[in-house]
Amino acid sequence: MRTLSLKVNGDTVQAAAPSHWTLLEVLRYKLGLTGSKQGCDKGDCGACTVLVDGRPVLACLTLAGAVEEREVTTIEGLMPLHVKSGGDGPDPVQAAFDRCGALQCGFCQPGMMLSARALLNKNPCPTRAEIREALSGNLCRCTGYTQIFEAVELAVAESIGVAPAPRSWEAQRMDPSEAQAAAKRAAAHLAERRKQEGRE
Amino acid sequence: MAQDEKDPVATWPARENLKVLNHDLVRVDARAKVTGAARYTHDVRVPGMAYARLLLAPLPALKIKKLDLAPALKIPGVLGAVALETDRTRWLGEPIAAVAATTPERAEDGLRAILLEYEREPWAIDEAQATAPNAPKVRSNAPKVSTDGDQASAERACEGAAAVIEATYTVPVQHHVCLETHGVVVDYKGGDEATVWCSTQSTFGFTPDAAKELGLKASRVTGLVEYMGGGFGAKFGLGLEGQAACKLSKEIKRPVHLMMTRRDEFLAAGNRTGGKMRIKLAASQDGTLVGMVADRRRFGGIGNGSMAKFPYIYAVENAYSETLSVPMNLDSNRAMRAPGHPQAGFGMESALDELAYKLGVDPLEMRKRNLKDKVYHRQLERVAREIGWYEHPHRDKPGDPKAEKCIGIGFGVAVWGGGGGGGTECEVRIERDGSVSAAVGTQDLGTGSRTYVAAITAEELGLRLEDVTAHIGSTRLPSATGSGGSTTTGSLAPAVKVAAFNAARAFAARLAPVFGVDAARVQFAGGEVRDTQGAKPALSWKQACAMLPAEGLSARGEWTKDANKRLAASGIHGAQAARVEVDTQTGRVRVLDMIAMQDCGLPLNRLAVVSQVNGGMVQALSYALHEERNVDAALGVMLNSTMEGYKIAGSLEMPRMVTIIDDEDERGVIGVAEATCIPGHSAIANAVFNACGARVRDLPLTPDKVLFALGKVV
Ligand code: FES
Ligand code: FES
Repeated sequence: MRTLSLKVNGDTVQAAAPSHWTLLEVLRYKLGLTGSKQGCDKGDCGACTVLVDGRPVLACLTLAGAVEEREVTTIEGLMPLHVKSGGDGPDPVQAAFDRCGALQCGFCQPGMMLSARALLNKNPCPTRAEIREALSGNLCRCTGYTQIFEAVELAVAESIGVAPAPRSWEAQRMDPSEAQAAAKRAAAHLAERRKQEGRE
Repeated sequence: MAQDEKDPVATWPARENLKVLNHDLVRVDARAKVTGAARYTHDVRVPGMAYARLLLAPLPALKIKKLDLAPALKIPGVLGAVALETDRTRWLGEPIAAVAATTPERAEDGLRAILLEYEREPWAIDEAQATAPNAPKVRSNAPKVSTDGDQASAERACEGAAAVIEATYTVPVQHHVCLETHGVVVDYKGGDEATVWCSTQSTFGFTPDAAKELGLKASRVTGLVEYMGGGFGAKFGLGLEGQAACKLSKEIKRPVHLMMTRRDEFLAAGNRTGGKMRIKLAASQDGTLVGMVADRRRFGGIGNGSMAKFPYIYAVENAYSETLSVPMNLDSNRAMRAPGHPQAGFGMESALDELAYKLGVDPLEMRKRNLKDKVYHRQLERVAREIGWYEHPHRDKPGDPKAEKCIGIGFGVAVWGGGGGGGTECEVRIERDGSVSAAVGTQDLGTGSRTYVAAITAEELGLRLEDVTAHIGSTRLPSATGSGGSTTTGSLAPAVKVAAFNAARAFAARLAPVFGVDAARVQFAGGEVRDTQGAKPALSWKQACAMLPAEGLSARGEWTKDANKRLAASGIHGAQAARVEVDTQTGRVRVLDMIAMQDCGLPLNRLAVVSQVNGGMVQALSYALHEERNVDAALGVMLNSTMEGYKIAGSLEMPRMVTIIDDEDERGVIGVAEATCIPGHSAIANAVFNACGARVRDLPLTPDKVLFALGKVV
């Protein structure tokens, strides 16, 4: 047993826990932060993903003692963090997941959204391929992922201030050539922005 | 509201008049889910709570010689232990004991300390072992063969046919892999009351059993399902894990949290029946199916397994099938999304496809020829168009396997009931401050039931979705049936609709004197209350509600046959197409596109329907390419009881997915979940054949099987 000093969601917290406990154990069983889910407890599902200094880590594979003095962000901290940095309400990723129907049971979502947030932190205008890659460690059994990708793309489009490509379900209701044109426009905007960032 | 003036009844408004329903709705609980505030059973924390773990049978069949729990109790932190089975275990992973401790880790330490002495008994955990001449008796009640149809005439029909194929198709045991494992939290500290949270598909299903286990009156036990992390058919009833938690809690008089570990979940929380289908299928020259003879085996572990009837969906003039369960010393099958259908579908769709190519008939045309229901024709044509079938270069013969990358397209169809039944009741309350709630004890598996409970109420009262609060997930609320077989929507929606309708009528009756008109002329729309003929100025909803007494107004509604007739239906179809790329060098299959057209009557929340269909397609894709339980028959162990060894499809495997809703509003509501996972894997397997001529008859379609079918490995 040792007393850990952790920085979680901007607060410094003390927790007495065995020194071999993982960050996930400390979050869920000591700090009452149950937003980080325990889907497998061995690094396979991604449900426990949290941010450590802005990068995604699997809390079930990370020793709590190894992240002392580092900034840990869990799903509970995402909205407060966004508000603190001048935003209004939920993080754009959270808002987009909401609006795109990107979730069903929701159990995979905290991890999924933190992986998405980590991606956008280092790459604010990712392609679909980069989104898939970034979320490849997060398993979802319910949704079929498509609306999750579309949610991340919506968050991107809104943050760079352009209209997103019509989402799969919207495209169904549009005139096909119009839908195609809108998708093209969105892709061009994204490419333009990526160029500016030296990504293309 | 289309109402008969004298005796109005609840009906769905015409589509153009729907303001909330049949739109893309943001779930009412989305905010709770995206912020991590949603509390799942796994997340419940109660003061003084102990954490429990299960000791599972390490081998498929054991005679227990000694089970001593005392050493576990000596482990620091262990608070109690109970024996669950002391004589013999009959399946791999059958729970033997449970331990509760101050932390999950201490409980695991406790498990390791338990003294278990046993003798192995002979077991059968694969087909070879189970059907060997000296096979052990797995169950006392040996299953019998069931038959369907007339064998002699089916055989005759096959003999005289223009073309016949005969082949064996096998499907693996699939696991549900809900992201939240099974489990319960029992809040009992002695005394005569308890609260039990359960990750379940049936709020009212597990609670009486929990009461019984605790020795309490059912009326003193509250069952709660606030949020649950996926079920897909596996989560009904209290389960052995729930019984264990209740026993422990009763013993130590402390709350107990027992969530199964991922390994426990693979071993002891159910699965989809595996099986084998030997099929002879015959057609006339024009592709009409004339004869079918099938011999089927179901592998449902210690259970019976399930497999939908043959001929599946397609009409066959003369069909005969025999079905036999082959019990094994493994966890029983449980219902899994469209129980029995994906299996039967794979056999049927594959055999039909083989026959089409043998006859040189376009496989899409062959399907239509044998589908009586015209809905399938329009759905197949639409998905075919959408996926590019009509421009596809090789439709009635496979592509050339000499190419390094081959592209192919395949199809499949689905059927499901999705109708509701009695036992669901809802209460709608209108408060004096203008707020509204709809209460029903049902559960939301992720399908969005919480949202449509609010949406139906809002629609009826002319309010916005956010104006209504849905209360669900508690046995303290009006009863609701469990969520199985896509019956929730058909059971719940009519009950909510009638409750909201009754509330509106009662409110209209109170307001009629204010307007000085007949109640039938009082209308709720756009957040206002008005006289349909405009005799007096409208009141805002809030103004109207302020006239209510302090206790507000409440009304109830329940599912009745009569309401069902007007508001719901059953019987849905679906067609899916898949486009794949096969790498003929490596045998790897990549699914490029999946297109689904799915009817479900009146869609309550279009966004949720799309998500259901996409999710169903991916489960089928995963079944087609990745999933399979592996057991080592000699060692008697499961080899892939982790999410690393048991692969489910992830973001990198996703094809482009398009879901087309086949709107049939006039039919009323119908549940949609099950049908969506029925045809996808068959479409993929057929697409692989269309691509390169590799007919893989054994799921999953792993690269080795594809190469083998191409004759590249022997
Ligand atoms: S719980 Fe950490 S990866 Fe599954
Ligand atoms: S929403 Fe259920 S696992 Fe992703």
